[in-house]
Amino acid sequence: MAELVGVFAASHAPLIVRGWEGLTPESRQRVTDAFAGLGKRIKAARPDVLIVVSPDHWVNFFLDNLPSICVGVGETHAGPPEPWLGAFPHRQVAGHAPLAQHLVEHAHTHGFEPSLAYQLKLDHGFCIPLWKAALDPLPAIVPVVINTVEPPFPAPQRCLDFGACIAGAVRSFPGALRVGVLGSGGLSHSIGEATMGAIDEAFDREFVRLLASGTRAAMLEFLEQRLEAAGNGTAEIRNWLTAHGAAGERGFELIHYSAMPEIYVGHGFAAWRV
Amino acid sequence: MRDYWLSKLFFDLQIPAAAAEYRANRAAVLDRYPLKPALRAAVQADDVAALAPLTNPYLLRFYFLVAGMSEAEFLKRIRAGGPRGARSAQG
Repeated sequence: MAELVGVFAASHAPLIVRGWEGLTPESRQRVTDAFAGLGKRIKAARPDVLIVVSPDHWVNFFLDNLPSICVGVGETHAGPPEPWLGAFPHRQVAGHAPLAQHLVEHAHTHGFEPSLAYQLKLDHGFCIPLWKAALDPLPAIVPVVINTVEPPFPAPQRCLDFGACIAGAVRSFPGALRVGVLGSGGLSHSIGEATMGAIDEAFDREFVRLLASGTRAAMLEFLEQRLEAAGNGTAEIRNWLTAHGAAGERGFELIHYSAMPEIYVGHGFAAWRV
Repeated sequence: MRDYWLSKLFFDLQIPAAAAEYRANRAAVLDRYPLKPALRAAVQADDVAALAPLTNPYLLRFYFLVAGMSEAEFLKRIRAGGPRGARSAQG
């Protein structure tokens, strides 16, 4: 059977790529150190496959058809289409079709009905953490899109449960695979709305405190009260919840957090002991 | 509620060639999208606050970058629109 060898989460702020030249040396160092901490932990886990949970920022899906959850089941995935990510070193990223298909089938018998895609483009949400964590060689990627871009979004509780579903799929996969899970996005940020640029540091710090030592009930109550007002981009913390669920909602380790208005996000990185 | 065609315009401009055509001849590109007159006028006027409630905020921000508005100007206009960004150009 496959083994879940690590669970991780990371921010994916575009400005660390397309605005890099404008950052101060101190900001650059903070970003570099955070990704190095993430990369060190992922490499130590030695995953053959990474299940990466991220939003689709309008590169695969539009208002014609907008899945809440979609699993990329292709043998390969396309690299990022954003022109400013031209330096990303992979135009094609290897997938793991058998594990992806197994995840879809497992989900359908465990309370979830994700859609599937044989061809996915991996946008910056997927590629920035993989790139900046310096994973070389890159493990095979099973991309999981959770819609956190255009409402309605999956409920936080469902994201925790879907994470547990992912872990169950990994553990029931009939193959000697080492599998990691990486949730991409967050923490608080606000894009294209009146509060653009604002970071709710108090929200972020309470969120990570609850990941580290809170109960599920306390987390859900907190999110019910605070999530919507913390900025539209903060919806991406659903991917952290999915990671948390995959880890059995325990073992959280904060690698790095800093409010970084210069890149518009609460910049967060985490790993879970599994 | 989103305006489908406004959003479709913004979505389509992610293709670099389409964005270049738009910058070169905005009216010709707009002719291909059945926008209501008030909405088309808001697009032509770069009226951020009027467009904000009718499309996704990520697409909105992307559009104005493609259309050549500076980030500082976009921030000024979106912040001037109020807590949710906005008044409507529906009509």
